[in-house]
Amino acid sequence: MFLAMAAWLMAGTEGRASTGMASQTLSAWLYPTAKLSVPAATTMSPGAGRFRSFSAVMPVTYRARTTAGGGGSITLQVTGDFSPAGGPSVSGGALQYSCSEASLGTACAGLQTAAVGYQTPVLTVPAAACTGGGGACSAADSNSLRLNFTLADDPGYATGSYSAQLTFIISAT
Amino acid sequence: MSRNRRSLILGAILLFLAAGAHAQFNPTGSTTLSVNVASEAAIQINTATTTLATAGSAFSSSYTGQTSFTYKIRTGKTSGTGSITLQVTSDFAAGGPSVAAPASGDGLTYTCTVTSPGTACAGSQTARTTGSTSVATFGANARSVKAGNTGSVSWTLPNDPAYSTGAYNATVTFTISAA
Repeated sequence: MFLAMAAWLMAGTEGRASTGMASQTLSAWLYPTAKLSVPAATTMSPGAGRFRSFSAVMPVTYRARTTAGGGGSITLQVTGDFSPAGGPSVSGGALQYSCSEASLGTACAGLQTAAVGYQTPVLTVPAAACTGGGGACSAADSNSLRLNFTLADDPGYATGSYSAQLTFIISAT
Repeated sequence: MSRNRRSLILGAILLFLAAGAHAQFNPTGSTTLSVNVASEAAIQINTATTTLATAGSAFSSSYTGQTSFTYKIRTGKTSGTGSITLQVTSDFAAGGPSVAAPASGDGLTYTCTVTSPGTACAGSQTARTTGSTSVATFGANARSVKAGNTGSVSWTLPNDPAYSTGAYNATVTFTISAA
């Protein structure tokens, strides 16, 4: 439908001999905003050796614009623990991660333990930051960072496949 | 409709379409993190060298000693099995005891102790160089604790006067498996 309307509007500009000029003042108020994208699914790989931790690398892509006095962040919350029962448990502190290679902002420091009941840090975006275009903004568009997840391989886990739901939240002021 | 107005509407449509091309970006993002936990087993021998000693005198008692180990295991949930076995992979030197060809009644024997979820070997086992012998078995859905469970093998070697004096070494290899 939109393509049809566009074609109609473009056709309407053809075949006219008249010429005109018009001036307009365009004003835009850019609010702080941020969005992110994560893979729909990530599978952890077993460690090299018996009962070594499982691991996975997860890329996070994001765009952010913060005000001169503001800032932003990306946080992580486990919104669904591993299921079915009998396997790993985020509540038990088994899932940890580190953050690296942030192209805008500062990645979380050290090893973080993922949690079910609250958000844990992933990234801090400074004030007056923006994605893309270079100059005052980052050169990269979009921005990206890397999360390295590790999950202890406890012999107490029953064999089987287990899945957890992770939610990333980005904010900007 | 004026040309300018048409251009503005066209621009708005193109902006709308362009915005749709980045629809995967949102204020929040969800992902499913999956892991496949497979059957697995590992063993650590805590007694690197087990010295067999005799408490008695004049051939009154056998040489004895104990080898302890820690194991970790996870067997299949419904039809899994597991085992710990041992094999003498290097026999005592000539002139002393022999595992491969012992004199009658002079075989190297052992008994087993293992904590749950393992089941220790039954009775006295005779060690062999030609194949493995049982130390412990595991059923389906057997899972050790995170730090591992423990077990031991208690050795008995008869003190035969036929052995020449001297120190003799044999190498025993323990194997754990899980399916």
